[in-house]
Amino acid sequence: MIEVRNVSKIYLNGFKALDNVNLSIGKEEFVYLVGPSGAGKSTLLKMIYKAEEPSSGKIFIDNFSLNNITERQIPYLRRNIGIVFQDYKLLPKRTVYENVAFALRVMHYSRSKIRRQVSQVLELVGLHQKMSNLPQELSGGEQQRICIARAIVNNPKILLADEPTGNLDPETSWEIMHLLTKINTRKTTVIVATHNKEIVDNIRKRVIALEKGKLVKDQQLGVYSTNVK
Amino acid sequence: MLSDLEFFVSEALVGMKRSGLMTFISIATITVSLIIFGFFLLLSSNFNNLANFISSKLEIRVYLKDTLTKREIINFENELRKIKEVKKIVFVDKEQAWQNFQQNFKNINLNDLIESTPLPNSFSILLEHNENIVDIAQHIRGYTDYVEDVNYGGAIAKNISVFANFVKLGGLGVVLLLSLATLLIIVNTIRLTLIARQDEITIMRLVGATKAFIKIPFIIEGLFIGIIGAILSILFLKTTYGFIAMQIQDNISFFPLVFEESKLNYLYFMVGISGTFLGFLGAYISVSKSLKK
Repeated sequence: MIEVRNVSKIYLNGFKALDNVNLSIGKEEFVYLVGPSGAGKSTLLKMIYKAEEPSSGKIFIDNFSLNNITERQIPYLRRNIGIVFQDYKLLPKRTVYENVAFALRVMHYSRSKIRRQVSQVLELVGLHQKMSNLPQELSGGEQQRICIARAIVNNPKILLADEPTGNLDPETSWEIMHLLTKINTRKTTVIVATHNKEIVDNIRKRVIALEKGKLVKDQQLGVYSTNVK
Repeated sequence: MLSDLEFFVSEALVGMKRSGLMTFISIATITVSLIIFGFFLLLSSNFNNLANFISSKLEIRVYLKDTLTKREIINFENELRKIKEVKKIVFVDKEQAWQNFQQNFKNINLNDLIESTPLPNSFSILLEHNENIVDIAQHIRGYTDYVEDVNYGGAIAKNISVFANFVKLGGLGVVLLLSLATLLIIVNTIRLTLIARQDEITIMRLVGATKAFIKIPFIIEGLFIGIIGAILSILFLKTTYGFIAMQIQDNISFFPLVFEESKLNYLYFMVGISGTFLGFLGAYISVSKSLKK
């Protein structure tokens, strides 16, 4: 599904964010991307949705090289990729419903289809009672659920989550992670970049560890700690 | 598609509301610019009308020598008819001319002073086109055996049409400058909306909105500003012109004002189109500049 081949990223200031990374993620997999801050997790995720370009190397999605995608095609790539952010990136002046519907609007869905899909997905994330609320009226965990709902409302093949629990308390973090695994069972490939050792060690999935831009571990049903090989 | 359009329009309205003051300033500027534009259009249109009116009344008056016989006069008339541009020749008998003169100036009793007519026989000549009036008048003056004097009102007509052109050109200059200023203000208004909605634009991009989709609401916003300005200025021009034209009609009734609906509607249409186009262009420039990255 996702192929990363010899990918390096050197920023203009000389910082090497990724150093010759190779990895392959299959369909419907659930993968943790772990490592300290600055290890290159976010950079890698951004490359998958074309917010960053590799300095060298190639990324393929479904055998399509992202290097060949033109600027015009980027929106269509992103329609197949749901993205969950640490800071949720919600529209503060719009209701929960509108925040989620927004994603379908830009894809020209009909109003009835939008209504159907948004209420389905809000049900899935457990927010159907609060669809008329504004984001700031909800808790952090609930706001993250809106973000997740928006990311999956059009059933993308891939869901990328960049530190989804970074701003949440432990209990809420568990709920969010369970939600992400639930989404994975709906045949969506899920990649979660995270710091959260407790979760990684308890919800055991494939773990890919980065350190200073290098891939240092790739382990099925792995744990967070880098010294467990 | 309909739901797309609804979405775009509602987004545009939200944008206008959010940068309310700038929207208001934009609409005010575009309205004032369009009023001035319309004013110059109306002015030059009226001057042209006046020039045409006067031109159509222009004639060459050829005063004949008093010594000519009837036969000689007829021969000369035939000679004049050979000139290409001549449309119509009317012989004005000197007695007739004198009567006309007395009719026009009833309050002066000249009969007491003058026994017989002091006026000569003359031809009144109308031309097909008035551009050549000077040359033709000169040409006729050349028939020194017949002609005492030649008169024509060419200078006035010429001056008026030169003046009309001057008004048109000067107006065009002013209008261009104003349009540029208006354009800049609209560009800035839309840019403010863009900045205010930067987060939204980022999110739209992340969820897969095409550039066109992101741009359209802002362009609609510009169009709205242009259209509102156009409507306001046309309303203003219509009422004001109607009022001023009435005043002029009442006081200087011979002044040939432009009153034809079709001509005026065309002018207002031009004003409307210009406003709409300015709004569109301003938004387009702003959006293209800001969304490049």
